[in-house]
Amino acid sequence: MKRIRPSRWSGQLLQARRGAGIPAARTPLCLAIRCQSTSSVPASDSSTLDSSSSASPPPPPLPAPSFDRAPQSAKLAALHARLSLSKKIPLQTLARALVTPSADANPNFNNANLAYLGSTIINFHVYEYLVCKWPRLPMAILYEALRAYAGDESLQQIARRWGVEAAAAPGEEVDPGLLQWKAGEGHVVNTRWGYIRSEAAKGKAWRRGLSSRVVLDSDFGDQVSSSDPERLEYNALQSEAFGSVVQAVIGAIYTHCGRDEAKAFVKSHILSRELDPSKLFQFKLPTRELAMLCAREGFEPPIARLESETGRLSRTPVYVVGIYSGKEKLGEGAGASLDVARRKASMASLKAWYLYSPGNKVRVPSDMMEQGAKPWTAPHIDIGEII
Amino acid sequence: MTVKALRAIADGKNGLGAFVLQCKKLDFHYCDWAGSSKGMNGFIKSLLPKFAAAHPQIEFAVSPRPGKHPVIVGHYINGRTKPICVRNLSPYEILQKVELLRDASGEKLRRTNKAVLSTKPSVRGIWSPYHGKGMAV
Repeated sequence: MKRIRPSRWSGQLLQARRGAGIPAARTPLCLAIRCQSTSSVPASDSSTLDSSSSASPPPPPLPAPSFDRAPQSAKLAALHARLSLSKKIPLQTLARALVTPSADANPNFNNANLAYLGSTIINFHVYEYLVCKWPRLPMAILYEALRAYAGDESLQQIARRWGVEAAAAPGEEVDPGLLQWKAGEGHVVNTRWGYIRSEAAKGKAWRRGLSSRVVLDSDFGDQVSSSDPERLEYNALQSEAFGSVVQAVIGAIYTHCGRDEAKAFVKSHILSRELDPSKLFQFKLPTRELAMLCAREGFEPPIARLESETGRLSRTPVYVVGIYSGKEKLGEGAGASLDVARRKASMASLKAWYLYSPGNKVRVPSDMMEQGAKPWTAPHIDIGEII
Repeated sequence: MTVKALRAIADGKNGLGAFVLQCKKLDFHYCDWAGSSKGMNGFIKSLLPKFAAAHPQIEFAVSPRPGKHPVIVGHYINGRTKPICVRNLSPYEILQKVELLRDASGEKLRRTNKAVLSTKPSVRGIWSPYHGKGMAV
């Protein structure tokens, strides 16, 4: 049976949200006393310790810079200003967004919880935008489009364009404005959503259907691995670390400033990126799929007609083929042979169907959360892809 | 299911949604003794505090470099740096150089011979010899 893992849902995340409603009563993150096993000296005892500390050995260094030093960091203040963050977000929170679990495994001091919160917000806004803007995208394309906007590689690019730099190695003495991460042995998997499939033990030969992917797998349709984390390459670990910064910053905005600010930030930094979804398609049997589509939608069966040609007997012929359904022209393609031209025309017709868009000013469900929003009119969402 | 998906990454367009200033750090090097740093020392005393306060998104570092000409180095988000030697310049001339460094993108300077560079496809389309009535040769 499928197994839910509530231990991966972060409890601290809920705490942070509960306090967000009452800004005055919230305990600032900088006041959290560090009581790890690695550093056993609480901050309040420092006065009594001074007299007798000459004999005891100094405490071991912290795995990441202390939050007390965040206000002194010029890099951190510059990053805060560069992102035009609200004054409500303290520099300590921004410093925490730069500490990844690979540097500091303690969830009270790393960005794991903020990053998980941020990733849910990012994925929600990107997903609703994609579904409303291109309502006929097949599920596989939708997953890849989501990954193109909100995947780790994309978020890494965003973090780098914010001017986030990684420290050579994480440590207490490092500037808190640098990203703290390392590609080490003990890789901690970031918190994420998904179920472990019972059939995962049967190996890779087991076929995963798309509809089960929607329910069981992660946000990008990837299989959630079992308890032992997969071995990731250096580049994947690096993009995960940089991506977690963007996610954590958005989580911090949501925690300190609220829903609308977080949405505006996602819109201006992530949804403003440019993606051409027509580049994501890879067809195997376009002619057959087009015939199925026409049958499903009740169109007349598609017919390929040669529109013009040149150089049939030469070394470089060009054929222009149009696909017609009755009197309607569905698409057109040019190729060096009749078959290639027909296949290209079928792909063009299928893309014309899948990439239907109601326009740039389409409303998304989260627009209804604004004050005084106009009544909701249901957008057109297609029944699904052609099987 | 015949459609498969290819991987892609969305392209960032700075300024389309949010604008991030590309200059992330400015280094100021001066010398207390040499005459070529006279203007630089005046700039650091009189104009730099106001300039730094107006640009919180840039990290400023002021450091001495005895016995050398004064230099301003701009560090950019794309990883490049742009150093400018400001020997014997007056404070206001140095301010112009600093503004130049602030506004630069960090890219190598290159000649632009197109008025508009666009990633969008042409609105008018591309002329095709295979459509319409063709061209009589």
